[in-house]
Amino acid sequence: MSLLDAIAHAFTLLFSGDEALWRIVWVSLKTSILGLLLAAPPAVFLGYVIAMHRFPGRRIAVWLAQAALSLPTVLIGLLLYLLLSRRGPMGGLEWLFSQQGVILGQMVIGMPVLLAFTLAAVQAADPRYAETAIAHGASRWRVMTTVLHEARYGVMAAVISGFGRVISEVGCALMVGGNIEGETRTITTAIALETSKGEFAQGIALGIVLVSLALVMNGALVLLQGEAHTAGGRL
Amino acid sequence: MSLLTVHGMRKRHGERLLFEIDTLAIDAATGYVLTGVNGAGKSTLLRMLAGLERCDACTVEFDGKHLPLHPYPAALRRAIVFVHQHPIMFSTSVFHNIAYGLLARGDSRRSVGAVVEAAMRWAGVEHLRDTEPSRLSGGEKQRVALARARVLQPRLLLLDEPTANLDGPAREQVMSLIPTLLDAGGSVVMACHDRDLIGLPGIHRLKLRDGRLEYR
Repeated sequence: MSLLDAIAHAFTLLFSGDEALWRIVWVSLKTSILGLLLAAPPAVFLGYVIAMHRFPGRRIAVWLAQAALSLPTVLIGLLLYLLLSRRGPMGGLEWLFSQQGVILGQMVIGMPVLLAFTLAAVQAADPRYAETAIAHGASRWRVMTTVLHEARYGVMAAVISGFGRVISEVGCALMVGGNIEGETRTITTAIALETSKGEFAQGIALGIVLVSLALVMNGALVLLQGEAHTAGGRL
Repeated sequence: MSLLTVHGMRKRHGERLLFEIDTLAIDAATGYVLTGVNGAGKSTLLRMLAGLERCDACTVEFDGKHLPLHPYPAALRRAIVFVHQHPIMFSTSVFHNIAYGLLARGDSRRSVGAVVEAAMRWAGVEHLRDTEPSRLSGGEKQRVALARARVLQPRLLLLDEPTANLDGPAREQVMSLIPTLLDAGGSVVMACHDRDLIGLPGIHRLKLRDGRLEYR
């Protein structure tokens, strides 16, 4: 099959509502979104705490959070594989080669992005927000929600960047999910598999979906940056 | 009658001693201006009183109790409100900015409405009720910040240069609010250089000079 034939076939698959293809897209979206939803509360909380408080080891915490951004996903996959494998400490959960395992992987991959970006957003927020909240009697919890509200564009940018990272990763999903059709086959693992088989059409179709998602997400990020600029906020 | 007395206020910037004040006594229902050259530590002193800067060795006598100033006592948090030189507005609305402290201390949304409306009238910002704070002028922000502090009925209000960087009508409008703050029955300490504020009737003067506090 020539490249042009493969591209034409890819569009046919996309617009004919090919069940197998859209099932892969659904699994990808489901695992990525659930992973992010699980990662967001602790990551945003930790990002806020590290940004706002001075404590022994804080610089190490910042360093670790930023270093975790560049952890290869295949290494995270290996660690989770060892944890989730039958003899591993979390083997009893039977999450290896399941959607739960993939979701856990996405959560672990997304967390450093969310944490580091939230930390940067909160650090960039004007310190008078927190001081004004404190000086007007706000509880610690209310100070946090106030500051996060003022840094919301940065926090939303963190979520979008986290989504970009988890939906496009392949190493961890492949190792922990096992690329099982209809269950753990995601956009990226399917592209890797189809390409290795010389079946380019589905890979190209999924690539188009992935690029479209990236465009939508980055478009949202650009819009947010515009909003932040208009509102005088910071990203 | 004394409202609070703070002992052992000392601030260093590296090797340099910014100030060392054995005793700072603030009387109830009394207005003070705190003067001193730029860099004398006026803002720092107010921030220490507000619990925004640590003062490890400070102790305070308040309501008949002797307390350390760090960690900042909850009783002082309820009694003292601090307003920045350049107040920052939360990105909600003028109404919600003024309601912030009331809601933060647990008042219901329904109960704060009348209080906030009255405060907006007092500050002359009722026409800005639903305005985004980022659209306010410097003078309007200052008036909203004063209303935001006033609704909490603080026993001590700390104002950091309330008329700095304002001129013309904006300054006059803020100036006109200051005496009514004093009439409310609480004490006010204002860090300032403004001669008109310093000259307000009944205002006591504190001066930071060479790291010491002088009462005048």
